[in-house]
This record gives sequence, structure tokens and C-alpha cells, in this order.
Amino acid sequence: MADRETTLLAAGDNSFRLDAYLRRGGYEAARKTLLSLKPREVMDEVKKANLRGRGGAGFPAGSKWAFVPQTDDRPKYLCVNADEGEPGTFKDRAVMTRDPHLLIEGIILTCYAVGIHTAFIYIRGEYEAIARRLEEALGEAGAKGFIGPDVFGSGFGLEVLVHRGAGAYICGEETALLESLEGKRGLPRLKPPFPASVGLFVGPTVINNVETIANIPLIFRHGADWFTGRGLPRDGGTRLFGVSGAVRKPGLYELPVGTPLRKIIFEHAGGPAGGQAIKAVIPGGLSAPFLTANEIDVPMDYESLAHIHSMLGSAGIIVIGERTPMADILRITARFYAHESCGQCTPCRIGTTWISKIADRLASGGGAEGDLETIRDLAEGMKGRTLCPMGDAAAMPILSIVEKFGSELAAAIARKKDTETE
Amino acid sequence: MNMVTIEIDGRSLQVEPGTTVLKAAEAIGIVIPRFCFHPAFEPEGSCRMCLVEIEGLPKLDLACATVVREGMKVRTATPRVVEARKDVLEFLLADHPLDCPICDKAGECFLQDYYDKHGRYASRFFESKEKKKKKIAIGKGLLLDRERCVLCTRCVRFLRRVTGTGELGVFERGVKAEIGIDEGRDIRNNYSGNLVDICPVGAITDRDFRFKTRVWFLEKGRTVCPRCGRGCSIVVQSVRGYPLVGNERRIYRIVAAENPAVNGHWICDFGRCGQHDIEDDRLTAIAVNDGGRSAGLQEGRPADWNAVLKALAGEIRTLGEAGRGTRLAVILNSFLTDEELGMCRKLFVDILGVKDIFLVDPKPGEADGLLLTADRAPNVRGAAVLGLGPKPPDAARLGESADMLLIFGSHLLDHLSPEQAAAALGGVRRKWLFTAHRSALDRLVDVVLPTAVPAEKKGSFTNVDGITQSFACAVRPRKGCLPEAEILARLAAELGVKLE
Repeated sequence: MADRETTLLAAGDNSFRLDAYLRRGGYEAARKTLLSLKPREVMDEVKKANLRGRGGAGFPAGSKWAFVPQTDDRPKYLCVNADEGEPGTFKDRAVMTRDPHLLIEGIILTCYAVGIHTAFIYIRGEYEAIARRLEEALGEAGAKGFIGPDVFGSGFGLEVLVHRGAGAYICGEETALLESLEGKRGLPRLKPPFPASVGLFVGPTVINNVETIANIPLIFRHGADWFTGRGLPRDGGTRLFGVSGAVRKPGLYELPVGTPLRKIIFEHAGGPAGGQAIKAVIPGGLSAPFLTANEIDVPMDYESLAHIHSMLGSAGIIVIGERTPMADILRITARFYAHESCGQCTPCRIGTTWISKIADRLASGGGAEGDLETIRDLAEGMKGRTLCPMGDAAAMPILSIVEKFGSELAAAIARKKDTETE
Repeated sequence: MNMVTIEIDGRSLQVEPGTTVLKAAEAIGIVIPRFCFHPAFEPEGSCRMCLVEIEGLPKLDLACATVVREGMKVRTATPRVVEARKDVLEFLLADHPLDCPICDKAGECFLQDYYDKHGRYASRFFESKEKKKKKIAIGKGLLLDRERCVLCTRCVRFLRRVTGTGELGVFERGVKAEIGIDEGRDIRNNYSGNLVDICPVGAITDRDFRFKTRVWFLEKGRTVCPRCGRGCSIVVQSVRGYPLVGNERRIYRIVAAENPAVNGHWICDFGRCGQHDIEDDRLTAIAVNDGGRSAGLQEGRPADWNAVLKALAGEIRTLGEAGRGTRLAVILNSFLTDEELGMCRKLFVDILGVKDIFLVDPKPGEADGLLLTADRAPNVRGAAVLGLGPKPPDAARLGESADMLLIFGSHLLDHLSPEQAAAALGGVRRKWLFTAHRSALDRLVDVVLPTAVPAEKKGSFTNVDGITQSFACAVRPRKGCLPEAEILARLAAELGVKLE
């Protein structure tokens, strides 16, 4: 990105300081907006920008806010989801480390639009240093009156609190996050009711990802049209693509929504490492179905990926080289979900573990005929049948591995049988 | 109220708005399988057993939590639904120990029943099962078997929402998730037995019942719990004959019966222990004791009811003929049914003109704020309605006013020591005791007549809130015992009077 002022990734050693943020034009958009626009107008501008959630599901942010009832007296809450647990995803930490004030400005705008006076940043427990940085930044902003009882002298009051999680993947699921924030076990809630009507402490609640909120100030600095112009008309802005795995230059790349996956891997991340060919790519965090090397011309936006039965998810791209056995990939994928299942509902609790046990056996040379079929049946038994989206999150990548790399897995099982007969 | 019209499996029906699909289906006799759902609690939605097809929705949806909408079309038996049930069962049974042959729940286990109906496949689980603890004492004689547990959390929710004591919780996560108890916080509340009732599988069992019989031998009789003034609906479960030897009858347990107006789905442990009132220390034969002058009870002496009641009628008649007014006194109690108390009033007050009608109950205990009342008898309110309030006799003057005393129940001993009782009864010439259980009173009277306990009777009790509940005989009376109603009717016949 040439235009440093408009990026989500501020550069420089002290980019996270308030004075540095102010030099980049920070808080001006929020100040102007709070003093001149009505909350309704703020919400409309965000809707116009077609900002889709950056957490994984890609729900349009403006519509999500509009679900919050504006008619009753219950306190409303904003929960910023900074749990960032999706394997292959490391974008929110970069935003919060380099530019915490961008997030805070986004929080101010969001809360103003929805009429919220208390916001929580739910940050994963492992991000302890980042949590401290956020608290420091909140201190700086509070001292200037950017947050507090009278934001920018507009009469609007806002309190922002940082809450550290305790390291469970499931707490990134929005209702489990609410339970955890309330001090309970992080278990997903049965929906409906949805958080917009009954959320944190039974109040109407907006839950947005860090990157989603961090985009809000940009929309108000430059306008909704500018924002959609940076991405796609129906899916505006840039995305922070985290590329990891078998590439020469793993890292975080801020690129327009809709940039082709091949371009991200080859032009930005330097192509596959060690002269090997690409075998598979996970396009949007581990929960997104795997792509084969033939599928990487796909533009990286929600609709294009949905079209080929995968998803943009958290835009965490993991590249798998030809030398990596898919049995190993299956094993670590299955193990992750078995380890992170909350255990509340039957299919996920037992399905993930059962699949993991088979995958362990398979990867260590103990595969048997029928294993792949069993894995597929078990994953189908989870898909669409669990209490929260985690059943799908676990089932879909596993189904895609078995479906797209079934012959490699079957060959591994057969090889084992050959050695037995010899 | 505007009713909502929906269709379930092609059958159209109208239900109240807010009804869930599961309850609507039940209304037309379609029982959707479930583990975590319990009518006393909000839907939990975690077992995923009750998924059904709803037209227009891409995924299967929960019957327990989905509220009906006008025009909704539900299908509960399509191949997709059946497949989903089968899958849940396959998941649950993967780690299950399959120890049905030694499990108390076998025969009334949801998992077993559903497998029989929807499962029936060969296992393809070749991995190692999760090992968990199988015999954890969680307090009050309850044992937790974590391998059998399906994590429906009914027990956890019961202790949080009903008793508010919260002893149990879920610990760990994923496949390691398990029901557990904080150290030193054993279950101590008075409603623990309900945990066994609501556990859909054999994960929580009761030492009292454990390994004693198989549930398919049990005969079930519904009645009203007689242990306090609440009048909870209960089911007495007993075995008569096989596999017991001879014609023996044994009570194995008492469980709660659903009764929305009185006890909902629950009963207290104190009431549940009433099993022992039916079973233990029962008198089974008429005993003639010569006023305590003989060496002991002569239970062996054959004395049939006809002869004894004829003798009693004779004594009552002689007493009347002696011309000194009715020197008969009667002690009643509130374990007698409304009908029996009515018969007593008619016979003793209206016909025989007895003035000294006393009523002696066990001493009140403490109410627990949930179901258990302070009264420790089932029909205190019913007795009061009949003008028979609690009225203990003046122990010191009993002998002055009465030549003959008919005592129903042995609750005098709740108020007097055996010595005091002996002194009080000493002055009365003839004493007849009608009671179900052995006590020290037996030796202080002339004749002891064994009566039935409430579970062996039909009749009605009026509870603490004034609700009158009729009940039928839940178990056959123990051999040799008669319900008071029958005794009174036969006595009246001997006296030549009618109680109708």
C-alpha cells in the first residue's frame, strides 16, 4: 500500500502511540462524526460502505448493528472480538500492536452509531502484552477525553474495558465469548435469541471482529465510496491476508478484497518455498475447506470462495507444499478440533475426537480400509447438526481433505497393507 | 387466544402460540427422542437428538427449542431425521461402556430404548474408548458413572435451577468433559433423589436401589405421598412374586410422578424414603396383649378379623349399656383419608356420641421452602375441614374420663416417652390400637390391629393448599393388614349401624 494514511497496518517504531496516531490524522473522523452526524447517519454510511465482518462469517457490519433494538432501556454493549484463535490467522494482533488507537476510534464510532456506552475488548489470554498495550492506549485516549463521560465534548459517554480470555478457541464464537465475558464457562449459547436482542448480561449486544472495527474510521475519513472502491462494490475495503506455510515470504499483506489467491501467494508471499509445487491451500483459516493447486486463481472475496465451496473466513492463508503428506495435515487438523471442542453438544464432542483418533492411526501407518468412509460419515454427522458453527468448522476442512486428497490418503492406507503382506 | 395452525407429519393441528415443536408433536402422540430436554427446564439444545425437518429450512432444526409459526410444516420421521438420530446414537455409544447387563437403568434407559428403535447398526468404532471413573460417591448415597454419562446436564441444571444448591457442574472440555463436584461440596440437599429420576441413562444411580432388582419386574402404582402436607404425586414401585420367592411383596423405590398443580416433576428425599414406611417394621397379625399384663405380644395366636371386630363391637355395646354415658375415647390422626375421617366422625361422634375425639400427629418439622411442609402428615388440612383439628389428649386425665380407648396410629409416642404413655394409658381399662407399624405402644394396649399404610389404600387427602387429591391402591396391602376404612365399615356392620 502506497498510501500509508489509509492502511490498517501503521508503520514505525512508535506507531502505536497516541501522538503518532494523531499525526496520521487519527481521531479526526470520530470527532467530526460525533459532532456533526446523527447515529442513524453513521449506521447508514457503514451500510453504504458494504463493510463485511472480518471475523469469518462475513456478515455485513451495518446490518448487524441495525438488528439492535433502539426502543428499550436495557444497557447495550459492544464486544470487540479479539480472540483470534483461528489457526493461520494473525491479523488482529498486528492491528492492535501497531495501531491500537485505530481500533479505539472504530469503537467510538460504532458505539455512537448503535447508542452503546460500554464496550469490551475480549482479547485472547495469550495476547497479554497486547492487552497491556490496549490498556495503555485507552489511558492515553481517556486522558484526552476521546473516551469517557463526554467524548469530544459531544455529551456522548463511553467506557471501554479490556478483558482477557483464558485460551479457548471456542471463545471466539460470539456467544461463547459472551458467556466467558460474563465469567462463566465459555460455551456457545443456543440461538435464538441472538446477541443483538439478548447478549451480554442480557443486554442487546454487537459483536465485531477487531479488523472490522478498525475499518470504520477509514470509512469516515474517506467516505463509503472510497471504501467500496478499494475493494469490491458488494464487499468493500481491503483485507489483511495472513500468509503462512510453505511460502518464501510468509507474512501479513493488506490487499483489496477480491485479489486473486494466486497473486497473493506468488507476487506478495514470494511463491512456494524450497522450489516445491503447491499441493493444497487453506484460504481463510483452518475452518475453510482446502483448495487444490488448481483452484488458487479464485478472487479472495466471500462470494467467489463460497462459489467454489470454500470460504474467505479470517483470510488466513496456509500454503501446503507437495512434500507434506496429507495424512499429517488431516491429523493435525482433526487434533485441533478435538482439542478445542467445548464438549457441550454430542456430535462435535465425540465426532471431532473420533475422527482425530482415526486420523492419528492413519498418519502413523495404521490406516484400514473403510477409514476414509468413516471419517466422511462422522464429519457429515457433525455438519449442520451442532449447537454452534464449530461443528461445521471442524467438518468442512476434514471433508475437503478426504474429498480432494482421498487418493493420496487411500494410497497411504494401501501402502501399509502392502508392507503387511510382504 | 389466537391459535397457531401447523402440520406435523401430515397431520394438521392447532396449538397455542409459543409452543415448541416437541410439545406440539407430543400433543398428537408423536414422541420425539431427546436426552437433554426436560419439560421442567428451558431447552438446552445440546444433545442434538430431537432434530426434525422443518419445511423451508436448509438444516434440521431442534424440536425442543423451535417455536411454532403459523403454517409451519414439520416432519419427524424422514430419512434425514432418522439418519441424524442414528448419528447421535452412534456418537454417544462410541465411548459408552455398554454395560447394560449390570446397569440399573437398563429397561428404562433412553439410550437403550432409542438404540432399539433408531440405531441397530454394527459398531465401527475401532479406537480406544475414553476411560472415566465409574463409581464416584457424590453424596446422599448417589453414585456417578462418568462412562455412562451422555452429558445432557439435566442433573447440573436441576441443582442450579430447582434446589439452587449447584453442587454439580461440568468440568474439562471436549471429550474429556465430565460431570463433577467441587471437593468437599457433596450433594446434601433434600431433593437429591430426583437426579436419579431425571438422568436419562444410568449415570446417576442410588445405592438404595442399586443392584436390587431389574426395572422390568417392577409394578408401578401411583399414589399421594403421605409424609408431609404437600401431597406430592408419587409412584410406588414394587415386585410381587417372581423373581422373589413365593408370594413375597417388596417395595423397591418411590419415584416422582408429574403433577403440575402440586409438585411439578419432583419429590423430596424425605418423601422418597417413605418406601421404608411401606416395608419396614410392619405389623402383620392381630396381637392380643392383655393390657400389657402378659409377658409379650402373642402374635402367634390365631385371631381372625371377624372374631376380633365382633369382640370389639361387643365391648363398645356393653360400654354403652353400662349407663354411665359414653366412656369411650378415640385418638385419630391425619394419615387417615378424608373418607376414613368422615367415617370416624359419623360412627364415633354422630352415632356413638363420643365426646373425647382426639387427634395426634407426628410433631411438625421444618418446612424447606420448596415442597416439604412443616406438617408431617398428609391430611392435616382434610382433618381440619372435618372439624378434627390437632387435639392431643390430656395425658394425666385420660383414665378419669374414659373406660375404653381406640387409638389410631402410634403418634402418641412422638409426644410422650414410653413411660409417660404407659402412665397415661394405665388408667384406661380397655385399649385398642389400630396401627401399621410396631412401636412401644403395642405393649401398652390390649389388642393391636394391623392396618394398611396409605400406599395400600384408596381414598383422598387434602393438602396444605386445600387441594383434595384422590388416589387408588398403589400396592396390595400387606397380608394380614386392613385399611381403616374397611375396619370401620365392618365394625359398623357388627354394631348394626350404617355409615353411608
